[in-house]
Amino acid sequence: MSKFNVNNLECIRRDNILFQNLNFDLEDGGLLQIDGVNGSGKSSLLQMCAGLIQATEGEVRWNGEDINDCRYQFQSDIRYFGHTNGVKAGLTALENMHVMYALSGAKTAIDYSFVLKQIGLEGMEDILVSRMSAGQKRRVGLSRFFMSGSSLWLLDEPFNALDKDGKIIIEQLIVNHCREGGMVIFATHQSIEIESYPLQHVHLGQHNQTTHHA
Amino acid sequence: MREYLNIFFVILRRDLILAFRNKAELINPLMFFVIVIVLFPLAFGSDSALLKQLTSGIIWVTALLATCLSLETIFRSDFEDGSIEQFSLSRYPLTLLVSAKILAHWMTFSIPLIVIALFTGIVLSLSSQTISALFITLLLGTPVLSLIGAITVALTIGLRGGMLLSLLILPLYMPILIFSMLAIQNAAVGQSITAELYFLAGILVLAITLAPIATAAALRIRLS
Repeated sequence: MSKFNVNNLECIRRDNILFQNLNFDLEDGGLLQIDGVNGSGKSSLLQMCAGLIQATEGEVRWNGEDINDCRYQFQSDIRYFGHTNGVKAGLTALENMHVMYALSGAKTAIDYSFVLKQIGLEGMEDILVSRMSAGQKRRVGLSRFFMSGSSLWLLDEPFNALDKDGKIIIEQLIVNHCREGGMVIFATHQSIEIESYPLQHVHLGQHNQTTHHA
Repeated sequence: MREYLNIFFVILRRDLILAFRNKAELINPLMFFVIVIVLFPLAFGSDSALLKQLTSGIIWVTALLATCLSLETIFRSDFEDGSIEQFSLSRYPLTLLVSAKILAHWMTFSIPLIVIALFTGIVLSLSSQTISALFITLLLGTPVLSLIGAITVALTIGLRGGMLLSLLILPLYMPILIFSMLAIQNAAVGQSITAELYFLAGILVLAITLAPIATAAALRIRLS
């Protein structure tokens, strides 16, 4: 049983309060969407949740412990996906996946061609990422979520640059992960409909954020 | 332990592949090294006594400058494409991953540089004692250049202006240059160079121990 809590979080950027007194909890199977206009602090919130940047106030807890006190455990349990894809343009899709797999620390063996098929890049193992389109690069980056070994996923605008099929694949991926007891927090400004699964919302913007269950 | 060795070699292999695929970035600093060294005989005349005295110093100073140039790119693309972000959020220590990257830089840049330096030493008719001293000092010194350079690059990453990097790095390279040149001068007159080599080796051990930690900390600062 894992638990992720955000307590009283505050974010100040360039003397602007982006959000204040932000609270939410996530338990196994929890799915949370962060939405808000551009510049409302969605990415900052996700980076704080991942521990990439420190909150000016408040704390982020993993299984009841401050994430700064249990970094190894926390980083073993999360997978973060930012604006950048985290893939090397100079490597092929397969070489990139080898590196992602090694970094993920997953113990179970993985069938790379099956993962590529799932992400819609069948037969593109040996193509350099630099020769791929923006959407295909994004898909290579997202392939890290097809490798097991983490329970909390943090996704920043995962649907950017993806086509309709790509969006469906990722929505399915997210819902499946939650069904299996994982947790997902994702930020998006796009209107997406995940109807098959109960979704929590955090709205950011004009620092009057609200949390409600849909 | 085995897991850590595995990830180290994965990152090392990744960086070696990337370096060999991007040949321009690999070869340009080395070409710079060769061309600058060739300029000196043109300026002083190839058989002047003055040049003979200066050659090993020229090779070392040019090696420092070429290292500065080559280091600029060590973290740039990783920073831009989010790889560093992924490294720092992986379950493995960033220090370890960064060490692999620095080793890859040394292997792809400094090893060819040492070979070229020895070759130019022979062409510019250095004595055999001087060449062997040059070889040993470069072997002990260049890893330190990569290690110290990596800290500075990590600190200045994302900032505009490549000159800033050189301004910050070159003063830190002074001890290496001083001990190396002392060793080479002593070797040229047939004296023992053990003391200088111990100093260089000491600096190398210190750099291997501390520089990756400092580099990882600097990268984390740049990320936040």
